Amino acid sequence: MVNLSAKRVKELEEKIARSKEVFRQAYDRFDPRDMRLVWSGGKDSTLTVWICLQFCKESNLALPRAFTIDEGDSFEEIEAFLEKWSRAWNIELDRGCNEDVLRAANYTLGADVEVRKLNARNQAEIKRIGFDLERFPFEAESYVGNHLMKTVVFNTYIEENGVKAVFQGLRWDEQPARQKDAYWEDVPAGELTPAHTRYRPILHFTERDIWDTTLHFGIPYCPLYEQGYRSLGAKTTSQKMSDLPAWEQDLEHTVERAGRRQDKEKTMARLRQLGYM
Amino acid sequence: MRNAILLTLDTLRRDALGCYGGAQGQTPFLDSIQPHCIRFMQAYSGGPYTQAAFPGILTSSHYLDHGKSRQLSPKRQLISEVMRQQGFETAAFHSNPYLSAFFGWNRGWDTFYDSMQDEVTDECPYIKSRVLNGKVRDWLAGRRDRSRPFFLWVHYMDVHEPYVPAPEYIERVDPTLCIAPAEMMRLFREVVLKRDVSDPDTIELLRKLYLAHVREVDDSARELFGIFEEAGVLAESLVVVTSDHGEEFGEHGGLSHDGKMYDELVHVPLLIYEQSRSETLVAEHVVSTLDIAPTILHSLGLRPAPAFQGRPLLPLQNYASDGAFGECYDKHGSTEKGAEKEVHYYRSERFKIIYRQRTETWELYDLRSDPHERTNLADASPEADRLKEKILPRVGRQPR
Repeated sequence: MVNLSAKRVKELEEKIARSKEVFRQAYDRFDPRDMRLVWSGGKDSTLTVWICLQFCKESNLALPRAFTIDEGDSFEEIEAFLEKWSRAWNIELDRGCNEDVLRAANYTLGADVEVRKLNARNQAEIKRIGFDLERFPFEAESYVGNHLMKTVVFNTYIEENGVKAVFQGLRWDEQPARQKDAYWEDVPAGELTPAHTRYRPILHFTERDIWDTTLHFGIPYCPLYEQGYRSLGAKTTSQKMSDLPAWEQDLEHTVERAGRRQDKEKTMARLRQLGYM
Repeated sequence: MRNAILLTLDTLRRDALGCYGGAQGQTPFLDSIQPHCIRFMQAYSGGPYTQAAFPGILTSSHYLDHGKSRQLSPKRQLISEVMRQQGFETAAFHSNPYLSAFFGWNRGWDTFYDSMQDEVTDECPYIKSRVLNGKVRDWLAGRRDRSRPFFLWVHYMDVHEPYVPAPEYIERVDPTLCIAPAEMMRLFREVVLKRDVSDPDTIELLRKLYLAHVREVDDSARELFGIFEEAGVLAESLVVVTSDHGEEFGEHGGLSHDGKMYDELVHVPLLIYEQSRSETLVAEHVVSTLDIAPTILHSLGLRPAPAFQGRPLLPLQNYASDGAFGECYDKHGSTEKGAEKEVHYYRSERFKIIYRQRTETWELYDLRSDPHERTNLADASPEADRLKEKILPRVGRQPR
């Protein structure tokens, strides 16, 4: 539990109400059978799912199914968390995975993947993101890995299941690049992407809001956050920022995602451009 | 003085400034503020590249004090942390990946912008100084508690390679020069990255492109001072201007900034600007960029930080110079392969001694008679043994 002022609780309630309004807009436009909650098991998507539950209960509407992406390098704690709470909340949870890549990598992290051994779809995707590679190391959060293990899985899933709308737990304060994101966005069909609409109901929550809401309303969270993880990505590339529980860390003055691999890649890319490395 | 502002210019050679007597000086604005400045003629950096130099500037400690990690050691104390503890609002605006939150430099800042989430290009792999200026302007305008004093650090990357300056700045350096960005990028890849100094004409061309960036940065500094003036904070601020290291153009067989300790890399500009001053004060004694943070604390009447190793530069007459030290690993070219070995220097009032751990060799230069560091006196000068004693205890020392 967390000790919040009445004013702060009211503030959080208003934020939740704003999120429900986003769900309302989606339900006005789509059938719940064509919608999916994207649920990684992290704190942001779990809050999104929880708000959706409240909204559906209050409005007496059917819950959408949820969808999680298995990148082939996930925390057991996250899997257990998803298993437990999808049951408890009675949510149908689908799992998507790029088996083809895992097989080519012999189910081994860091193993070399030969591009010619991949299926046509994966080969086309590698070309599409501008890579002319013969082989690459299998790492879920490298640029190629992230694309094949997340983006491609996502696109394939919505295509095969005729999904028309998804709910994502993105936030404006995650990074400056997110600040122009809108509550919903129609994504037109692309070469390998089916058309769909993305809803982001918790955009206005800050990292602090997430923890205050989670702790105040007793929303479940993965125990890894208690051990000091601030942001959960692939298992081998997420680092603890401290031994303090996430919500006790200096959220306002340190970087949430500094423990994640992609920040490292960005930093290294800049250094290379400056002539180092 | 109420506020402190630190403006650091990455890769800025001391002789690129007119006020330091650079024949090719490209800094009309920085020259024009000299009447309000104390100009340190013998300021030395803690190291020849950003990672080696910035622990000195922002934490007043030496690069090799805390082991090899690229991550800023928690044992170092940033001046931002010290000033925030003493009630200052702190803000940083820069675009150098080595100083980013990823490497731990975001400690102690109320506002920390390192640009790492923003998109950049190969021709300009950083957020430009003009854009940073805009962020500073917005930050000044948006400050909620104006009664609270602030410490602001702004760091410009624009002088750093690749040298791809805008045509208008190339024209100011050499109106006859006509060169396309693609050719400038080719020079970066084929000449600068390969440290190819075989063609003097190409080196001269690179120097001109570099100076065009210096000219641009000078314009940005002018704009930044204008922003301070507009916001009404300049008159009540102590402003320190310096660079982390210089840049080599073939003086000692290389380009860019590798693990070398010659003056083109470690002898840096250092200006302390106070609007109330009306006549340039020129300080001729040897000082270190490790002295900057203690100087800021002292000048603003703040408690000194016990972890800081430098000494306040002001008042000038109280500063007892004991020379300056610098250290780094001997990375060479654009690669960092192989076991890293240390390089050290010590600069006394007259001499500079350099030690290379890899080859266990010494170099000694009499900067009075040999300012370009061409004649090694290590085996010839009676000074050598005394100066070696300064360096030896610092080589291979264990992390504190």
